[in-house]
Amino acid sequence: MNKQYALALMLVSAVSAAGALALNYWGILPFWAYAAVLIAGFPLFLLGLGLYWMAREGEADMPFLGY
Amino acid sequence: MNEIGGAPLFFLEFGDIVIYFTPFTLTLFILALVFTVFVLVSRPERQIDIAFGGDAYYAKEISLSELRFRRFMSIACGLACMGAMVTGDVFDFTLFVSLVGICNVGIVAAVKSRHVQNAAYQYGLVALAGTVPMFSAAAMIAATTGTLSMLELAKGMILIPVAAKALLVLGVMGEGMAPFYAAKAEMFRAPGAPYVIMCSLSSLLIFLRVAEVILLL
Amino acid sequence: MIAELLFAVFFGLLLLGIHRKVIARIQRRPGPPVWQEILHMLKFSFKTTWVPATASTALFCGVVLVAIGIWTAALVVVLSGGSLLVIFAIYMLHKIVEHGFGLSSGSPYGKFGGVRSVISAASEIPLFVSVAAIAIFTQSLMITDIIAYQEINGPLLITVPLAALAMYVVLLSKMPFGPFSIVESKELVSGYKTEHFGVWRAGLEVCNGLKTYVLLLTFILVFIGNLPFWLVILAMVIILITLSFVCALSPMLSPYDSVTVQTLIAGLMVAYVALLGVMS
Repeated sequence: MNKQYALALMLVSAVSAAGALALNYWGILPFWAYAAVLIAGFPLFLLGLGLYWMAREGEADMPFLGY
Repeated sequence: MNEIGGAPLFFLEFGDIVIYFTPFTLTLFILALVFTVFVLVSRPERQIDIAFGGDAYYAKEISLSELRFRRFMSIACGLACMGAMVTGDVFDFTLFVSLVGICNVGIVAAVKSRHVQNAAYQYGLVALAGTVPMFSAAAMIAATTGTLSMLELAKGMILIPVAAKALLVLGVMGEGMAPFYAAKAEMFRAPGAPYVIMCSLSSLLIFLRVAEVILLL
Repeated sequence: MIAELLFAVFFGLLLLGIHRKVIARIQRRPGPPVWQEILHMLKFSFKTTWVPATASTALFCGVVLVAIGIWTAALVVVLSGGSLLVIFAIYMLHKIVEHGFGLSSGSPYGKFGGVRSVISAASEIPLFVSVAAIAIFTQSLMITDIIAYQEINGPLLITVPLAALAMYVVLLSKMPFGPFSIVESKELVSGYKTEHFGVWRAGLEVCNGLKTYVLLLTFILVFIGNLPFWLVILAMVIILITLSFVCALSPMLSPYDSVTVQTLIAGLMVAYVALLGVMS
């Protein structure tokens, strides 16, 4: 995955989670909607962060078969 | 005991058949949906096998016709699962569960491996036998209470025979949960991860749902 | 909720680190530092990452998202006092995650890990038993109601000790290095997670941290009740250390033995809850 996309994914999920937190705090967004955003956003944020942070993308290889 | 899966969020009425979402059924529904989408969008993996007596290995390929058939069966299985998760009618539930059983056999029966086909055949026999107690449970519930709606039955006005509940569990067990489940393990030799996962997922989902139904009735 | 989520990930990983340390000390080894699992998670997230050439790409990546997603959902349910049945569902669906991890790569080691995860289906039945036993007493499965019941009638740990034991067995069967952890035993390299490396493995570590935290928290809330925060943390560590003792002193069972033992435990527990049901 392109690192720019990973960064964008991370930022979008972080901003939407923070937005949901704020909206829920002010009572605009119901709790279940905030929870839904968090549940969908947290995995995307983590993978986005990891894929942006990782050293580089390697060549696709065969699975490990023996020692 | 009406809210064992959390407070109902949403009702969808088709005449006297009510589909309802509680946090519990919604969780199961979304997972069935997510994995059905995985089936739709992913190509099957190529299983690596080692050729004995050397360093050689080979990857099993799935032919396009086999892929199409199994993908169709997996999507049907996913749809049946989603139906079984949210329906509020005992007969609909049994229908969806039996459909899950049929689709599960279909998913693996297309694989050209003797072990897998044997397992699929044996599982098919158990699944067929499982439908008898399952539908008789639905019939007993209808005969003793006069309704099949889970929402009506959950009010606890009429006592449901324990035998009916036991037969329902037995039937669902036949369709794929433990201990018959172990026979299914052989089915997972089959390549094509997104499709065989539907077998495993559907069994777990119908087990969870039947647990809720039994506690509800 | 976001703060709790981050705390759960890091504290869960710290608990797994303590688990390793205790096992090592019992076996008279120095062992890794307790924060080793947190370091693992950080280390994996900046390693070179790719998708194996033979893998089913969408499933290979998607299952990592599902793994983190379901345990985030479990944490939300526990903290908001939702239904115990949802936790039970998520625990069972974790099996699909293990299965998906194992099968999606095409690696034979992963495949065997996945198949072993499927055959140990009996490990979930004790959880259902504890859920059913609790339902008999509290007449509700909402965690808030269970906590309220315990404030009036005392901890369920004393009322239904065998149900607590059932849940303890469930916790044990999900701990690494335990007698039932056949899905990741060393003859399969790393079992179902063999081919998930780099960022994918970091995701899996996060999922493991969350899972440990949520399961221990559920055990405490359901069987002991609402405690002050520092006591919850202390109780978690104590329960974890007892689990580590079991893991350190018992060998890993062979796959068939593991399934047999789990099935026997499940059978006993079902008989127990049937007896409870008849007696009430």
